[in-house]
Amino acid sequence: MIHLPLAHLLSEPVGVSHYVMVGAVLFTCGVLCMATKRNALGVLMGIELVLNGANLNFIAFGSHVLRNDANSLGLDGQLISMFVIVLAAAEAAVALAIALNYYNNHDSIDVDRADELLG
Amino acid sequence: MNLHTLVDSLLSDTLETSLPLFRPELALCGTIVLMLLVRVFRCDRLLPPFLLAFAGSVVALWLALPAEGLASWAAISPQEIFTGMLVHDTLSAYVRIFLLAFAVLFVVLTQLTGIADRENGQDFYTLVLGATLGMCIMASANHLLTIFLGIEMASVPSYVLAGIVKGRRRSSEAALKYAIYGAGTAGVMLYGISLLAGVVGSAHLPTIAHELAALDISSMLAPGGDSSTVMVLALGGLMLGVGLAFKLSAVPFHFWCPDVFEGAPAEVNAFLSVASKAAALTLLVRIGFGLGFVHETPHATLATNQPPAAIAQVSTTAQPPTTFAALKAEGIVNESTADQPLSPVRNFFVVLVALMAIVSCTFGNLAAYGQTNIKRMFAYSTIAHAGFMMMAVAAAVALLGRDPSQSQAAIAALLIYITIYLFMNLGAFAVVAFLRNEMQSEEIEDYAGLIRSCPMTAVMMTAILVSLIGLPPLAGFWPKLRVLQSLYEAGGPLMITVLVIAGLNTAISLVYYLRVVKVICIDPEPDTRGPISLGFLPAAYILVVSLPVIIFGILPDKVAQWAEQATMHLF
Amino acid sequence: MESIYWPTFFFWLFSLISCSFAVGVLLARNIVRMAFYLVLALAATAGLFFLAGADFVGAMQLMIYVGGTLVLLIFGVMLTSQERFIEMKTSSGEWVVALLLGGMLLGILLQAAMAVPAWQGMDRAAAEATKVEKTATPLGMGLLGVRVDQLDEQDESRRKGMSGYLFHFEIVSVHLLVVLVGAAYLARAKRKRGRDELAGTGSNAT
Repeated sequence: MIHLPLAHLLSEPVGVSHYVMVGAVLFTCGVLCMATKRNALGVLMGIELVLNGANLNFIAFGSHVLRNDANSLGLDGQLISMFVIVLAAAEAAVALAIALNYYNNHDSIDVDRADELLG
Repeated sequence: MNLHTLVDSLLSDTLETSLPLFRPELALCGTIVLMLLVRVFRCDRLLPPFLLAFAGSVVALWLALPAEGLASWAAISPQEIFTGMLVHDTLSAYVRIFLLAFAVLFVVLTQLTGIADRENGQDFYTLVLGATLGMCIMASANHLLTIFLGIEMASVPSYVLAGIVKGRRRSSEAALKYAIYGAGTAGVMLYGISLLAGVVGSAHLPTIAHELAALDISSMLAPGGDSSTVMVLALGGLMLGVGLAFKLSAVPFHFWCPDVFEGAPAEVNAFLSVASKAAALTLLVRIGFGLGFVHETPHATLATNQPPAAIAQVSTTAQPPTTFAALKAEGIVNESTADQPLSPVRNFFVVLVALMAIVSCTFGNLAAYGQTNIKRMFAYSTIAHAGFMMMAVAAAVALLGRDPSQSQAAIAALLIYITIYLFMNLGAFAVVAFLRNEMQSEEIEDYAGLIRSCPMTAVMMTAILVSLIGLPPLAGFWPKLRVLQSLYEAGGPLMITVLVIAGLNTAISLVYYLRVVKVICIDPEPDTRGPISLGFLPAAYILVVSLPVIIFGILPDKVAQWAEQATMHLF
Repeated sequence: MESIYWPTFFFWLFSLISCSFAVGVLLARNIVRMAFYLVLALAATAGLFFLAGADFVGAMQLMIYVGGTLVLLIFGVMLTSQERFIEMKTSSGEWVVALLLGGMLLGILLQAAMAVPAWQGMDRAAAEATKVEKTATPLGMGLLGVRVDQLDEQDESRRKGMSGYLFHFEIVSVHLLVVLVGAAYLARAKRKRGRDELAGTGSNAT
C-alpha cells in the first residue's frame, strides 16, 4: 500500500477551519471582483460572492457535524444565513434596478466611466 | 423547561412587552402598507401620499413620545424586547423620537419643494418611511443580525432615494456609486460579523460581551498566550468597522459621500446627513457599550454552571448598576482598569474610533475648503461633523470602565450634538433646495448678494453656517464644548491628542463656512439674476427649522436637560 | 491505507468546484461567462451546506440564490448586453495591485481560519458517532420565535443569548415590500403628465 499524503487528507473528517478557508477564498475572489471589474454587473457578482463566503462561515460555525463543543453558534448560524440570503436577494434587486437605470441614462454600464462626479 | 414554557414565555414577551414598546415602528409599517393599498385601490386622489406619510409619521412620533413629557425618562428601564433582538432603553427611545421628528419635518419639506409629486409620491414616501424604520432598528439593535438587518433596511431604500430623479445622469450615477459601495461594505461587514460570532459562539451582544469577558483577552495577549484567537477577533472587529465607517462616511470609506451628495437632490442629502448619521452613531454606541461592558444578569444561577475561574473573572468585572451608583454616591472612582477583562476590547474600539474620528474630521474640513458646489461642501462638512461626533463616542467608551457618570455625560453630548445638527443641516439643505427651485443652481458663487434679494433666507443661512463652525452665541457651540469636555475628562495621551485636533479643526472650518457667508452677505449681486421670492410657506419653513439654532444657542438648557435625562438610566 | 471518509471526499470535491469557479468569475472577461461560473460556484456552495448538516439552508441556497438571484443578474446581463460591454478588460497595472492586495488579504484570512483551536476538526470516531439531525423543524420554530435548542442548553447565560427570530421574520417582509416598491419605481418608465394617472399602477403592486 502506498501512503499518499492525499490519502490521509481524505480519511480524516474536515473541521470548521476548512470551511472557513473556502469561505476566505470566496470572500477574497468577491472583493477582488468588486475592485477590478469595470462592468457594474460584474461588481454585483463580486458582492454575491462575498456574501456567500460569509454565509459559508455562518453555516460552518453553527454546524454540529464539524464541531461538537458547547461553544458553537448552533442554530443561530443557519438562521442568520437564511436571512442573509433573503437580504442579498433584496439588495441584488435594487442594485440591478439602479444599474439598469444608469444604463438607460448613460448608455453604458462601465463603472470606470462613472466619473462625472469627481470624488 | 419544556416546549410549553418556551411558547408561553414567547407569547408573553411578544404580546405584553415587545409589541407595546414597538408601537411607533408598527405605525410606520402600517403607513407603508396603507400607502400601497391606497395606490392599488386607486384612492390616491382622495388620499394623497403626502397626507398619508405625514399622518403616519406624526402618529408614530406621538406614540414614541413618553407619556409625561420629554424629561420623564425615569420610567424606562433598559429591557430586551423580542427575545433579545432589540433593546429598549432611554437611548433608543430618545433617538427614535429624534428620527421620527425628523421624518415629520422631512415629509413637510419634500412636499414644499415638490420633489415628490403625485405620480411618484407613494414610492418616495414608502422609501423614506422604510429607511426610517431601518434606522429605528439600528438605534435599538442588540444582536449581530439585527445590526446587519438594520443597516440594510436603512441603506437599500437610501440607494433608491439617491437616484430618485430618474432622468438625470448625475442622479443615476450617484445612486450607482452609493449602491455599489454600500453593498460592498455591507458584505465585508457581514464577513466580520461571521468571524466574531464564530469565535464567541453567539450573536447576541450581551452574551458576546459575557463570552469575551470569560475569554480573558489580556492573558491571551500576554507572552505565551493564545494570541491567534485575539487576531481573529480583531479582524472581525475591523471588518465590522468597515460597514459602520461607510454608514458614518468616515475616512477612508467616505468616497461615496461627496459624489452622492452632489448627484442626489438636496432634500435627500438632508435625510442622509441627519437621520442616517444619527442612526449610525447610535449603532456605534450600541456596539461599543454592548461589547465593552458586561451587564449584570438577573439570573443568580448563572454562576453555578460556570467553572470557578470564569466566575471569578465575571464577578470582578461585571459591576452591577448598584455598584456604579454606590461608587458615584461615595465619589470613589475606580481608577484601575487593567484588571478588567473587557478593557482590551474597549481599548481596541476606542483607538479605532478615535483614529477614524481624527482623520475624518481633519480630512473633511480640509477638503471642504476648495469646493464650489454647495452640496459638495456640505458633504465634506458632514464628514467632518460625523468625525467630531465619533470623538464623543470614543470618549464615552474610554470612560466606560472608569467613570460611568462621565461616560453618560459623553453620550449626552452626542445626543445634544445630533439634535442641534438636525436643525442646522435640515435648515441648510432646505435653503439649498428652495433656492435650487428658484434659480436652478447649486453653485456657491450664484448665491452672491443673496442678502439683498432674499434677506430672511440669507440671515438664516448665515446663522446656520456660523452655528456649524461652533461659534458661541449659536447652538452649534454647546455640543462641541461638551464633546471637548468629555475628551478632557477621558484623559490619556490619545484623548488629549483628539482634543487638540478637534480644537484645531474648529479653526480650519472657520475659513470655508465664512467664505460662503461672505459670498452671501458681502459680494455684489449679479445683474443677470432676477428677483428671488421663495413664497410664504417655504420661507416660514426655513424660519421654523432654523430658529432653534438661535434659540438653543441662547437657551441651551432645554436640549441639555432632555439629553441628560435620557442618558441617566443607561446602565 | 485507511479507508476514505466520504464526507471529506465530497467536501474537497465541492470546495474545489466552488473555489475554482469563484476564481473563474474573477478572471473571466466575458460577462456572460462570469454569470455562468457564478451559478456553478454558488451551487457547489450549496453542496457544502448539505455536507455541514444544513440541509434546509442548502435547499434555500439552491432555490433562492441559484434559482432567483442569479436569474435576476442574468436578466441584467441580457438587458445591458451590447457588443462593447460583453468583454471589458481591466488594465494590467490594476491587476497587479489587485492581486498583490488580494493575496495579502487571502493570506490573513487563511491564517485566521487556522488560528482558533476550537475550529479544528473532530477525530474520525467522534465524527462518525455524530448524529445528523433534521434541521427544518427547529429552523421553522426558530423563525416563529421558539428556539427548541434552548431545551438542550445547560448554560443559563448562553440560553439567554438564544433569541427567537420572529422579529426578523416579520420585519424583513416590510423590508422586501419597500425594496420592491423602490426597484419597481426605478424600473418603470416615467409616465407622461396629462395621461391618465391611474394607468400603470400595477407595476408596483406586485
